[in-house]
Amino acid sequence: MDESPELVSLRNGTKVTIRPMVAGDGPALLSFFRGLPQEDRQFLRDDVTRPEVIERFVAKLDDDSVIPLVAEHEGRLVGDGTLHRTRHGWEVHVAALRVVVARDFQRSGLGTALAHQLVRRAVGLGLDKLVAEVVDNQIGARRAFEKLGFHQEATLKGHVKDIHGAKHDLVIMANDVSHIWERMEALVADYSPTAGD
Amino acid sequence: MAKSEIRVGGLGGQGVILLGHIIGKAASIYDSKHATLIQAFGPEARGSACSAQVTVADEAIGYPYVKNPDFLVIMSPDAYTQFAPQLKPTGTLLYENELITIDDRLPAGARALGIPATRFAEELGRRLVLNIVMVGFFAGVTGLLSKDAMEKAVKGSVPKGTEELNLRAFRKGYEYGVELIGAATVTG
Repeated sequence: MDESPELVSLRNGTKVTIRPMVAGDGPALLSFFRGLPQEDRQFLRDDVTRPEVIERFVAKLDDDSVIPLVAEHEGRLVGDGTLHRTRHGWEVHVAALRVVVARDFQRSGLGTALAHQLVRRAVGLGLDKLVAEVVDNQIGARRAFEKLGFHQEATLKGHVKDIHGAKHDLVIMANDVSHIWERMEALVADYSPTAGD
Repeated sequence: MAKSEIRVGGLGGQGVILLGHIIGKAASIYDSKHATLIQAFGPEARGSACSAQVTVADEAIGYPYVKNPDFLVIMSPDAYTQFAPQLKPTGTLLYENELITIDDRLPAGARALGIPATRFAEELGRRLVLNIVMVGFFAGVTGLLSKDAMEKAVKGSVPKGTEELNLRAFRKGYEYGVELIGAATVTG
């Protein structure tokens, strides 16, 4: 897989490097997560303000069921994107995308750029379907995923609570990327172009 | 004039023609050589015998048909049965070794090198890239064309969005081929 860093230009012209997470990212990652507002951290699965949680993330870099990317600007981590897949069982063709962006980099296109990289990597891994979870009021995130080919596939009513205890719907967005391989299937068909003439 | 004749054989749906096309493209577009491609299809869209004849040379090629190839790339037992006897005694057979068993059809003196290409393709995520694993294996074993030219030909021949996995498939086959040749040189 192409692991080389990619320089991305955001809407306001800021340049950010998106690259795979490395073992030395632990301290910067902890600072990044601790810098997120509580309301943003509320929707994450782990308490990412705890060093041991970050150490666990970094320790899993050799685990090919998680593909983590980070976005870096002037030595500071400003975004985190991960692709999660299972290596066995009935969901082996599916991966979940998770993207988190620093508050001062939100609405800059960074989330879309991170998600785009994850989608590209997922296709490169031969996966068929991608899913992302978005809270109903995260309009920007929903639009970003829609731009990348995701659509609303399911809604879990009152499934998540914000920091004030208010319940929100969790929207499951999905993107069937298997169609990309239909053209490859046609290409390897070895079918005479004149057959049937 | 240096000239190499290659026969690719397999079943419809394995990407036999694309495999031959990529070798020819690497030679003619990216490695400044000459190449020709002849393709033969069975009557069915899938599953019937299918083959490609590729000639690569330093100069213009006057006769594009391959009767006794220097390299035989085989991906199905039927193709092995049909084409193995035609391989030059000094030639090399590259074959899918979990689908094909070598027997006395192979001319004495010919070298046979196998790769579990289908399994590798499945492990990479798509059985569909079996032929690209074979392209990489061909490049790694023969050294006939530069790795760079072959990679460019792979990238330029597959649909947009599939380049990354196809290049991984190429590199898997290439590395396996280079290692196999290295091991054969050490033990041989």
